[in-house]
Amino acid sequence: MTGRSRVRFSETFVALALLFLVAAPAHPAGFSIFAQGAKASGMGLAFTAVADDPSAVFYNPAGLGFQKHFSALVGGSLLSKVKGEFEGANPYPGTSFGVEDQSKSTFYLPTFYAVLPLTSNVNFGVGVFSPYGLGFRWADGERFSGRFINQNVVVQTADVNPVLSLQVAPTLSVGVGADYRLSKVQLERNRAAVNPFTQSLVDVAHIKLTTDLQDNHGWGWNAGILWKPVPTFSLGASYRSKINVDYRGEGKFTQRLTGNPAFDAAVAAGLPQGKQKVSVSIDFPATVNLGAAINLPADFRLSLDADWTEWSSFDRLFIDFANTAIPDLLRPTNWKDVWAYRAGLEKKWKSFAVRAGYYKDRSPQPLADVGPILADADRNAYTLGLGYDTDRWGVDVSDIYIDFDHRDTRGHVNHDQFFGRYTEKANLVAFSFRVSF
Amino acid sequence: MKSMLFRAAVSAGVVTVLAASPLFSQTTFHKFVAVGDSLIAGEEGNCLVERHQNRSWVKQVANQLGISDFQQPLISEKALSNPLTGQPCLGAVISGQTITVGAVSQMGTNQNAALSRAYDNLGFIGSPRIKDFVDLKVSVPGRSGTDNIAAVILRNFAGGPFEGRSAVDEANSLNPDLVGLWAGNNDVLGAATSAVAIDGVTLTPIGAFEAKYTEVLTGLAASGRTIVTFTIPDVAAIPFETTIPPVVVNPATRQPVLVGGQPVGLLGPRTTATCSTPPCPLPSGTLVTLPASSLLAQGIGIPTALGGTGLPLPDGGFTPPSTLNPGVLLYPEEVALIQQRTIDLNARIASISAANGAILIDVYTLFNEIKANGYEIGGITLTTSFLTGGLFSADGVHPSQMGYAIIADGVIQALNAAKGSHIERPDLAQALLTPNVPTISTAGEVDPSGGPYGFSLSMWKELLDSFGPEEGISVVFPVKAKRIPRLVHR
Repeated sequence: MTGRSRVRFSETFVALALLFLVAAPAHPAGFSIFAQGAKASGMGLAFTAVADDPSAVFYNPAGLGFQKHFSALVGGSLLSKVKGEFEGANPYPGTSFGVEDQSKSTFYLPTFYAVLPLTSNVNFGVGVFSPYGLGFRWADGERFSGRFINQNVVVQTADVNPVLSLQVAPTLSVGVGADYRLSKVQLERNRAAVNPFTQSLVDVAHIKLTTDLQDNHGWGWNAGILWKPVPTFSLGASYRSKINVDYRGEGKFTQRLTGNPAFDAAVAAGLPQGKQKVSVSIDFPATVNLGAAINLPADFRLSLDADWTEWSSFDRLFIDFANTAIPDLLRPTNWKDVWAYRAGLEKKWKSFAVRAGYYKDRSPQPLADVGPILADADRNAYTLGLGYDTDRWGVDVSDIYIDFDHRDTRGHVNHDQFFGRYTEKANLVAFSFRVSF
Repeated sequence: MKSMLFRAAVSAGVVTVLAASPLFSQTTFHKFVAVGDSLIAGEEGNCLVERHQNRSWVKQVANQLGISDFQQPLISEKALSNPLTGQPCLGAVISGQTITVGAVSQMGTNQNAALSRAYDNLGFIGSPRIKDFVDLKVSVPGRSGTDNIAAVILRNFAGGPFEGRSAVDEANSLNPDLVGLWAGNNDVLGAATSAVAIDGVTLTPIGAFEAKYTEVLTGLAASGRTIVTFTIPDVAAIPFETTIPPVVVNPATRQPVLVGGQPVGLLGPRTTATCSTPPCPLPSGTLVTLPASSLLAQGIGIPTALGGTGLPLPDGGFTPPSTLNPGVLLYPEEVALIQQRTIDLNARIASISAANGAILIDVYTLFNEIKANGYEIGGITLTTSFLTGGLFSADGVHPSQMGYAIIADGVIQALNAAKGSHIERPDLAQALLTPNVPTISTAGEVDPSGGPYGFSLSMWKELLDSFGPEEGISVVFPVKAKRIPRLVHR
C-alpha cells in the first residue's frame, strides 16, 4: 500500500471514527470497555456463548453464523462517573489538599453492527465500536495535588471490525475477522520548578501532548467458535489479538508566569519553543473469552463467561520526545494478566425479556502504578436489562452499576511517590435498536 | 523508579538496624533530644534563624512524634543593616538580569534564652567537631566561631546556666528516650570549604575521631534509649564544590567556552603532566569552589587569550604552625583525600554505632544516589543543583527546607523499620510548596563582586567564619575579602 493510498484509506475511517470518539471513559479492568451491546450489558456481559444479535461481531463472531437475516444494530451507552475522588496522605501530597474530585462528565460510547448473509451458511458482518478508552480528568486541574503527574489523560479508540462467519454444521459455527483500530492519546500536566527566590516549588509550564488519528492506527484480528450440541446448550470461545499502535503527535509547552520577571525569563529561556514532536506506543492486549449458556425451564436462560486479558503487554508507558533536550517519560507499568468472571440471566415472556447479571473484574494494575494517570481497581458490577424483540425489529436497554474497590497507596511502594486513597463508582446505561430483513 | 531511592535504601539496609531488641521494641517516643552540628540545628543559607529552626528535620520529627514541649533556641531574624550586627542569611537575589546569591536578612538574638532547662535541639552551628560535643564544657565567646554559637545554644559560658556541661551532658539531663546524633561533618567539611585538605588541620585524624565519637556515643547511650546516628555525606559533592566547572564558561550562558571545539581549562598554580610552567590548566577532576566566582569575574583563572588576566586561581595551603590560607581549588588528589577520609570516618561511625545499638542512617549513600538520580516525588524532581535544584540552600553547603523535610521523612522511615513503629511520615508538600522567605520585610542585597554565581569573597569569609576555624588557627585569605557590609542597595 502506498503512503498516499494509506492516507485516503485512513481518512475514510477517520471521518467515521470521529463520530464515535466523542468520549473515553475508564471502565472495565484496565481501560478496556467490554460493554459493547445493550443485550450483553443486561446479562452481565456474559455473551460469548449467546452472541445472538449483531453485537456478536464484538463478543464472538461465530455467533453470526446462526443469524440468517440481514440485521443492523445501532446503539450506544452513556457512562457516568458517579464518584471519583482522591484523598491525599503523607508524605505526599499530604492531607492539606483535602478530598479532590475527578470530572464527573457523562461519556457517550456509540456502537454499530451489521450482519449480511452471503450464502446459506456464510455471513459477512461489520462492527464499529470503542473497545478501549480512558478518561481521567481532575476537576480542578490547576490546583490538583497531582497536577505534576497528570491533569487529564485520554485514550480513545475506534475499531472497524469486518468479519466472516461460516456455519460449518447445524450445531457449529466459526468466525474470523480483521480489526482495524484507530486511536489517539492526550496527556496534560503541569511542570514544577524551584523558585530560587522562595525556595519552593511553583508551576512554571503546562504541557499538553496530543496525537492525531490519521497516522495512529494498528491492525489485529479476531476469531470465534460457537457450538450448540443441543438446542438448549451452547459453548463459545472467542479471541481478539493484541494490537500495537505507535502514535505520532506533538507536545506543546505553555509557560505559567509566576510574577517574578527574572525567574520567568529564566524559565522561558529553558522552555521548549513551538510544537515538539513526540511519539508514544501502546500495546493493546489480546483477549480470550470463554462462555457457556443454557436454556432453563420457564424460558429462563443462564450464561456464564470467563474472560482473560493479556494486560501484561502493557508493561510500560514511554513518551519519547524527538528533541533530545526534553526529558522523555518512561513509566514502568508492569500490569498483569487478569481474568474476569461474568454471569447473566434472561427471562422471556414471548417478545419481552428481562435480564440481570453480575460480573467481577480484577484490576491488572499493580498498586505501585496506581496514580493520578489511572487508579484502576477491582470492581463488582450489577446489571439489569429489558428487551423487546420481533422478527423485524428489536430494542434493548440495560443498566450497569459498577462498584469499584478503593485503591490505597498509603504505606506501599508507588512509582509516583503519590499517596492516598482513590474512590470511584460508575453507572452505565446501554441501549440499542435493531432492524432485520 | 528514582523516586523510590530512599525507600529502597531503607529496605535494602542502607538504613541499618545495627542492634534492636524486638522483645522490648518501643513504638512511641516521649522525649526526643538531638545533638550535633548545623545539620541538627537546621542551618540554611549560612544562618540559623527561627524560620529555619521550625523547619529543621529535628523539629519535624518531634512534630510527627507528637511532642508538644520541644524546645529550641529560637533565633530571631532581622532586617539587614549597615553594618551588619549578625551573621547574614543568604538567599537568591537579582543582579542585573542574573539570579545570584546575596544577603537577605541577618541573625538576631535568642528569643528562648530564658528557658530554665536545656534545649531539646542542641545542634549548634559554628563548625563544631566531634570533640566539641564532649570537650566544650565552658564556651568562651570571642575565642572561636564554635564558642560564639555554643554560648547561645549550650549556654555553658562562664556564669551561664549550664557552665561546665557539654552538649552530651545537657542531652542526658533531659533523660530522653530518643536521641539523634549527627556529628562528624565538620571533621571533613572544613577541608572542602577552605579547599585545603591537610590531615590534622582541616581533616580530623581517624584515630582521634574514633576515640571522640566513641566517647560521644557511649556518653549518650542509656538503657531503654534509642539512638539514631548518621554518616557524613560526601562533602566534595555539595553544590559549593560542584557548581563551577574547571573550565572557562560564558558568564551569561554558563556554558563552556569552546576553542577548536574543546573547552578551555581554568588556570591553577600547580604543574600538571602536560604543563610544566604554571599557571597551568586545571586537570580534569579538579573542583572549583563557589568563591572562585568573584575571582573569575575579575579575570583571575582565565587565560589572557580569552580576555582574562592569565593569573592562576589561588590554591589553599597551611603555614605552620597556625596559619590557614584558604583557596578555591581542590586538585584531584585533595578530593580523593577528603573522600577517603569521609569513607574512613563513616566506617568508624558504623562500627561504633553497631557496638552501641544505634540505628544508623547512611546519608552518605542516600546523598550520592540522589545526586546521581535526583529525588522524585509527585511528579516533581529535586536535584542537588545550586539554587535551582531544591535540595540545597543558598550557601551551597546546607540543605534547604525541602532537603531537611526529606531527611525528616527518612528518619521516621528508619525508626518505623527498626522499631516496628507506625509514626506518621511528614507532609512533604508543606515543605515543597510553602515559600521560605524572610519573615521580616527586607530587600535583598547584592555584592557586585560576586561574579556570575554571586558568591563573593566576603560571603566566603562569612561562611568560613561560621564554620569556625580551629581554636588557635588564624585564617589569611589569598585575596582581601571585606565583610558583607560593603553591600550596595539596589
